[in-house]
Amino acid sequence: MSLILSALDVVLQDGFMYAVLAMGYYLSYTILDFPDLTVEGTVVTGGVVFGLLARAGVNPWLAMVVAFLVGFLCGTLTGVLHVRLGIRPLLCGILVSTLLISVNLVVTVVGMGGNFAGDGALSTVDLGRSVPTVLRTYPARLLPTDFYGFNLRKLVTFFVIALVFKLILDFYLKTKSGLLLRATGDNAQYVTMLAKDQRFYKTLGLAIGNGYAAVCGALIAQSRGNANQGMGVGMIVIGLASLIIGLSLFGRVRFMKPTTMVILGSVIYQGCLGIATLLGVPSAYNKAIMAVLFTLALVFSDRLAKKNGGKKNAVVRTHL
Amino acid sequence: MLSFEHICKTFNPGTPDAATLFSDFNLTVDKGEFVSVIGSNGSGKTTMLNLLCGSLMPDSGRILFDGTDITRQSEYRRAARIGRVFQDPKVGTCGSLTILENMALADNKKRPFGLTPAVSRGRLDYYRSLLEQCGMGLEDRLNAKVGALSGGQRQALALVIANMTDIDLLILDEHTAALDPKSADTVMQLTDHFVKSSKITTLMVTHNLRFAVEYGTRLLMMHEGKCIVDIRGEEKQKANVDDLLNIFYEISIEVGN
Repeated sequence: MSLILSALDVVLQDGFMYAVLAMGYYLSYTILDFPDLTVEGTVVTGGVVFGLLARAGVNPWLAMVVAFLVGFLCGTLTGVLHVRLGIRPLLCGILVSTLLISVNLVVTVVGMGGNFAGDGALSTVDLGRSVPTVLRTYPARLLPTDFYGFNLRKLVTFFVIALVFKLILDFYLKTKSGLLLRATGDNAQYVTMLAKDQRFYKTLGLAIGNGYAAVCGALIAQSRGNANQGMGVGMIVIGLASLIIGLSLFGRVRFMKPTTMVILGSVIYQGCLGIATLLGVPSAYNKAIMAVLFTLALVFSDRLAKKNGGKKNAVVRTHL
Repeated sequence: MLSFEHICKTFNPGTPDAATLFSDFNLTVDKGEFVSVIGSNGSGKTTMLNLLCGSLMPDSGRILFDGTDITRQSEYRRAARIGRVFQDPKVGTCGSLTILENMALADNKKRPFGLTPAVSRGRLDYYRSLLEQCGMGLEDRLNAKVGALSGGQRQALALVIANMTDIDLLILDEHTAALDPKSADTVMQLTDHFVKSSKITTLMVTHNLRFAVEYGTRLLMMHEGKCIVDIRGEEKQKANVDDLLNIFYEISIEVGN
């Protein structure tokens, strides 16, 4: 029983944590119709930036904001490659995430006391017990770490962070700027006719999406206690699968906001992984399970779309 | 008001497919004119509109708009003073947004799009009054997704939206071509109503000779990048569909069709 409870605990924590990434994907992928591969790099960047700042004694909440801004810049770069140089969406993401592999490594090594050649120190940012994270400072410190077997502190903190990012996105999408961004993904010509530069709004959407990915990276680093170069692997699948599961399962629930669907999708996706772990599947098989789950989600959402006569989800396949 | 001066445009230059459409094209439109443009496929009607709106750049020559040279201005900047309705009803509106959201966006044209709420309740009555003019019951469906509307309704909405801002030029690019005859008539009457009430300078490209004859103050027929018929005033009023058809056939014989 306690095994199941602790598995549920991890599922919820991870679900809320990756929900931030998936909400960023909602913006770039669902709204702007841009399959953004940059996040594999941005998640690491977010974790590394957060880790180094926290180690330097910066307030962890402020460090999260800085991580967001750095992610925002990475997304801007992807956007500029696309709208100014006319490079295809998939390639833009591959180019920037490849660039970020070097950047992340050098920044990590330099931040950990090495040199600009990229050696002389560890390539992992360690967040040992003395480093302040949002989980180790107020207000999260007021919550117990062990509450009938639940890590209530982590659970509530990650839930609140996911909720805040959801509310911010909900609010933004209702503003003039946000509505124009939604119009950009739907019909760029309409935005042009409103005398606005659609290229700017495409870039803005990618920037915000990557800001969310970087925040997710910062959360992963705090959850694991370190930020390393490998933590970005599989992020595209996690983000997209959560998004597609959420939107296709709850798409027909009338008064549910898409962001809520995405959070639920993320929890369900982590739930599937949790069940696999409970069934005794070794963690080495995790990525394989992720790929299978993602395939199922794609096929499933495609079927649903056909049943409803819609095409929205069928788009998923043509891109990937 | 608006003039094309010595415009040249060649498509696919330097390739075996190179096709020169305009060589020294000139046209002047006065303020307040409602110009109907007809012509066979490939005669340059839509290219002319694309050059004017900035979706295409000419190889040489210049385009003047109220005395300003707009030849190299980007499409979105020109759009501040131009309203455009396209042949495809899907282009003039956003299908995934509601009627209300579409109108709220158009209402904010020429103003900054910041972080304030997009839809303001105080404008609802104004939006309804605009939609009432269409006579399609759209005013009661403000929260409907535009994607759920019929082609005719969507085009009427696109027309309302194009006219919402204070613009100096209205471009209608075969805007009734994709509609059934009845919807086409409705949209055309609505167009005439808008143009007459705001006295806005209008360029309408159409394949419907009856519309070209019945509506507008000036009629142009284009052929191979030139205006071969240009009539206005009394002469325009005397024109009829049969005469225009005859000219069409004469041209076709010349070309060898």
